[in-house]
Amino acid sequence: MAQAQRTGRSPHRLVLLALTAITLLTVDLNGFGPAESAQRVVRDVLNPITSIAATVVSPIGDAWNSVFNYGDLESENEALKEEIAERTGAAVRAEADTQTLRRFLAAADLSYVGDIDFVTAEVVRSSVGNFDDHVVTISKGSRDGIEKGMAVVTAAGLVGRVIDADNSTAAVQLLTDDSLFVGVRLVSTDDVGLGHSVPGEDGAFVIDRGTDLPDSDDPSLRPAIGSAVVTAAESIFPADVPVGLVREVEEAADEVSMIIHVELTADVGDLHYVSVLLVAPLEEFRLTEVRPSSDAGEGIDPDPLNDPLAEVEE
Amino acid sequence: MTFFKIGLVFFVAIILQLTVFVDVRVAGVAPELLALVAVLAGYLAGPERGTTIAFGAGLLWDVWLPTPLGLAAMAFATAAFAIGSLESGLFTQSRAQIAGLVGVGTFGCVLGYALLGEIVGERGLVDLELLRIAFVSSLLNAAIAPLMIRPMRWALRGPIVFGTRAAARS
Repeated sequence: MAQAQRTGRSPHRLVLLALTAITLLTVDLNGFGPAESAQRVVRDVLNPITSIAATVVSPIGDAWNSVFNYGDLESENEALKEEIAERTGAAVRAEADTQTLRRFLAAADLSYVGDIDFVTAEVVRSSVGNFDDHVVTISKGSRDGIEKGMAVVTAAGLVGRVIDADNSTAAVQLLTDDSLFVGVRLVSTDDVGLGHSVPGEDGAFVIDRGTDLPDSDDPSLRPAIGSAVVTAAESIFPADVPVGLVREVEEAADEVSMIIHVELTADVGDLHYVSVLLVAPLEEFRLTEVRPSSDAGEGIDPDPLNDPLAEVEE
Repeated sequence: MTFFKIGLVFFVAIILQLTVFVDVRVAGVAPELLALVAVLAGYLAGPERGTTIAFGAGLLWDVWLPTPLGLAAMAFATAAFAIGSLESGLFTQSRAQIAGLVGVGTFGCVLGYALLGEIVGERGLVDLELLRIAFVSSLLNAAIAPLMIRPMRWALRGPIVFGTRAAARS
């Protein structure tokens, strides 16, 4: 059959399709409305069917996990038993962290997204492909007021932002994606900077842009270990959303700036329910006077073309 | 009619990808069903029709991926064209051969998708994980290929009418 249907090998059609793809890429990268709308329509049409199909085939996934991951499950079970005690301690510590965070916020006269409207949604799907580990789908969409760019939080703090909103679902880029830069403010010093997660390290976040060393050697001028880090007023997120707690402060190689290691307060890797803050997202970063530290850390792209602040500086 | 049959294959593939293969993964990697459809289209329908079908499969997959529209479409179409352009005399249509071709084609699709993504500025697609993902998804697609070849043959039976000019020619 294959031989019978093989026609010419003219690359004309491939060239035509490649040009079409380039056109689509260009219009999509520029946020061309009709292209995004067309994609939303396709997803909106298929979402209800996908939802029903997911319910129908869920036993397959369960069976797969019970058969092929049985050994893992057994050892995980054993490990979990051992961890329960540790978990109890960890829960206490997490509660303590959260309370510490709350105290810091209260001391700084901040209320965690106090009067911002929000929508709570269930995480209905993790990544669909092999390259979107940091994207999850939630059960609420544009008909619930969700828009692209809105902040996504849990009770413990920021977990990501909406990158696409269909009628009934939305895709969320998680904070674990190191390409998601967050404008943050250090509550103890009021410094602002840019941070991102650290690839391969769960719960690790680093602020490596915009935080200069204090002029004096007085350690009290540096961010206090354990102090709160919240979103900055100048960031693309609403101000004062908790991000984490300062874990370590080190001097950058350029000897003029600091690299601040932060422990995220929210467990981004294990999400079931999230809240979307219904605040119209800002169009772009507005942070000024920030620059990358010379030893920005592993996973940081030194290419200035990839610098999200490039637009601002222009 | 063929157009609708191919649409049905696309539909089943995307639904399976978005439901079953969100959970059913090997070493954390899911098969790339739309890439499988694309490669089989190139193999069965040749470089002309197969490339167009592969482009459509990629475009449908693009709708669900966070990367820009057109990325998977371009990668899949190129891979299908390459597979479709292979010397037809080489083929005996044995299961092993089809599985091998699908494996190679899928590897090309995944690699092409990631490389094109990096070119257009999508970060994090090309790293050490890429080879693992490409290899495992190729193996999975090769394993699934014998199940998929029959529906694809059924769908490709008869001329595909994409527009009025094509309809007039056929």
